[in-house]
Amino acid sequence: MTYMKVAISNLRRNPVRSVLTGLSLAVSAATLCVVLSLDRGYTRAVTEELVAKTGVHMYITKEGCPIEAASVIAQGGLSPLYVAEDMTHKVSAVPEVDVVLPFKLFAITTEDGSRTDIFMGITKEIEKIKPEWRYEKGGWFTSDTSVILGGEMARIENLGIGDKMYSEHFDREFVVAGILPRYYSQDDGTFFIPLKTAQELVDRQGKLSAIAIKLKDISTLDATRNQIRASMPPDYYVLGSKELGEGILEFFGSTRVVLYIMAGVAILISIFSIVNTMLMAVLERRREIAYLKCVGAGAGDLLHLISLETLVICITASAAGAITGSFISPIFGRIMRRYLIAFVPSGSISQPDFAIALVSFIICLVVGVACSLYPAFRASRIVPMEVLRNE
Amino acid sequence: MNDQTALKLEKATKFYHRGTETVHAVDNISLAIENGDYCTIVGPSGSGKTTLMNLMGCLDHPTSGKVWVNGKEIERADEKVLTRMRQTSIGFVFQQFFLIPTLTVLENVQLPSLFARKAATEHAKELLTLVGLANRLDHLPGQLSGGEMQRVAIARSLVNSPPIVLADEPTGNLDSRNAEMIMGLFDKLHESGMTIVVVTHNEHLAGKGGKTIAIEDGKITN
Ligand SMILES: Nc1ncnc2c1ncn2[C@@H]1O[C@H](COP(=O)(O)OP(=O)(O)OP(=O)(O)O)[C@@H](O)[C@H]1O
Ligand SMILES: [Mg+2]
Repeated sequence: MTYMKVAISNLRRNPVRSVLTGLSLAVSAATLCVVLSLDRGYTRAVTEELVAKTGVHMYITKEGCPIEAASVIAQGGLSPLYVAEDMTHKVSAVPEVDVVLPFKLFAITTEDGSRTDIFMGITKEIEKIKPEWRYEKGGWFTSDTSVILGGEMARIENLGIGDKMYSEHFDREFVVAGILPRYYSQDDGTFFIPLKTAQELVDRQGKLSAIAIKLKDISTLDATRNQIRASMPPDYYVLGSKELGEGILEFFGSTRVVLYIMAGVAILISIFSIVNTMLMAVLERRREIAYLKCVGAGAGDLLHLISLETLVICITASAAGAITGSFISPIFGRIMRRYLIAFVPSGSISQPDFAIALVSFIICLVVGVACSLYPAFRASRIVPMEVLRNE
Repeated sequence: MNDQTALKLEKATKFYHRGTETVHAVDNISLAIENGDYCTIVGPSGSGKTTLMNLMGCLDHPTSGKVWVNGKEIERADEKVLTRMRQTSIGFVFQQFFLIPTLTVLENVQLPSLFARKAATEHAKELLTLVGLANRLDHLPGQLSGGEMQRVAIARSLVNSPPIVLADEPTGNLDSRNAEMIMGLFDKLHESGMTIVVVTHNEHLAGKGGKTIAIEDGKITN
């Protein structure tokens, strides 16, 4: 005979209720686990993407540009801010610089707003700067009207090498020169066109969205950045790719707040649910509890017994929730990828792991234990006289 | 004060307030029940039998007067002492059985030993043999008849080996055949030397005990 046995047997009396109580906490634990996985996953994926996958060590933009890059893509449009193309030569002259990629980025939304196409005007330097750049089919631009399609675009448009692609917005025909593999990143949905063509299409000759720079040696990053910054006009920005990542993550901040509020609400609801059910479970058994006092149960025994009951539910539910959350969070990662507009990294957005599951488990467990205190306290205060109460 | 006194009340009163009216549930009662006595408390409904038993069993404090259990005066307030007293000195049997439906018969009987921090599996089995349920150890209360449940409840009240058993209408929920059996059980416990106090308004059962206390309106009438 142990307290645990009695507690479990009490839970078995109304199994549906016990399971439902546990379920609310399990949902909280799962939500928390998903949210933590998404938060960390997105942060990591963005940083990884910007630093490791793009091969870019540094960007030169106009003030406000890192955020502009994202908002252009979000809203479809063209920023009035630009980097003068002359700067490319200035930067190329710096000895520490390996590759310089000037580019023009813009987004065109169809009139009915159903679709936004991203265009990126580039030069051949992209082949040297992006470590993973290769062609699934075809190759580099062969003329001013050439286009290289992101993997996803080629699939959606059902286009092959040499096929013609008509853009209604520009009243222009492009010829597919190359098709990229799918990188599961923003590149998949992008139309790459020659820089000159891009500038001409939006009437921005000699103007760039930004210049991407790869250094010969990453350890010279800080020194080179200072050097380049000094040589630029004061309203130019020289950003390490890490800082750009931080800019994008600022965008994610509001999404993150919503996610955490969601997890908080789930926890709050389960607090009410647990306190309510356990209190009911105590009150409907008050005569029986009073009887236990008659046979010698002290206040401490009842505190022990009732909080054990809650604890059993909470441990089981928090663990089940945290494990479930770890398994389902990639699904949410995929859903979020579909609706994220700020910046979609190619790495997994959701990165659950043991530490996150453990944190979710512990938080929910602590909440559960806290919830058990009041009902247990009420049980301990029942007086033995109650045994004779007439119902 | 006699060593032989199991329960003693001295000018004990218990008043309840119902609106502006004061109910004298127990009104200035003095009595002594010696060790090994079999005492039956009888009286009409509302006469104060249960209230009197509560005072004897340390479930309630008297409004005034004094109570001794096993020669020890029950002070007010100290809940720990009362808990200890209920663990070791008194077994309670009520009209309702209060068995935990998801614990087996044997586990139900063992339950009080958990609170007294004693292992009592063997003793619980002996007690179930005593009440004639040795073959039902693993049954759940739902599989038992009312009479059998009350026998389990009696075995449970005895598991911490209290010298005194207080029973309030122990046969109130039972038919006459089962009632007989329960009362027979109390006789058996009495013969083994225990102090038994049974509250009942069934005059039929009352005669059997050695000593009868009749009360009415909170006062002893015999
Ligand atoms: N908690 C209480 N508050 C107010 N009055 C009470 C309370 N408990 C008992 N009484 C009153 O005290 C009197 C004695 O009650 P008690 O329960 O002791 O009677 P009883 O002899 O056990 O009756 P029964 O045979 O019906 O069980 C009754 O008038 C009852 O209404
Ligand atoms: Mg009564």
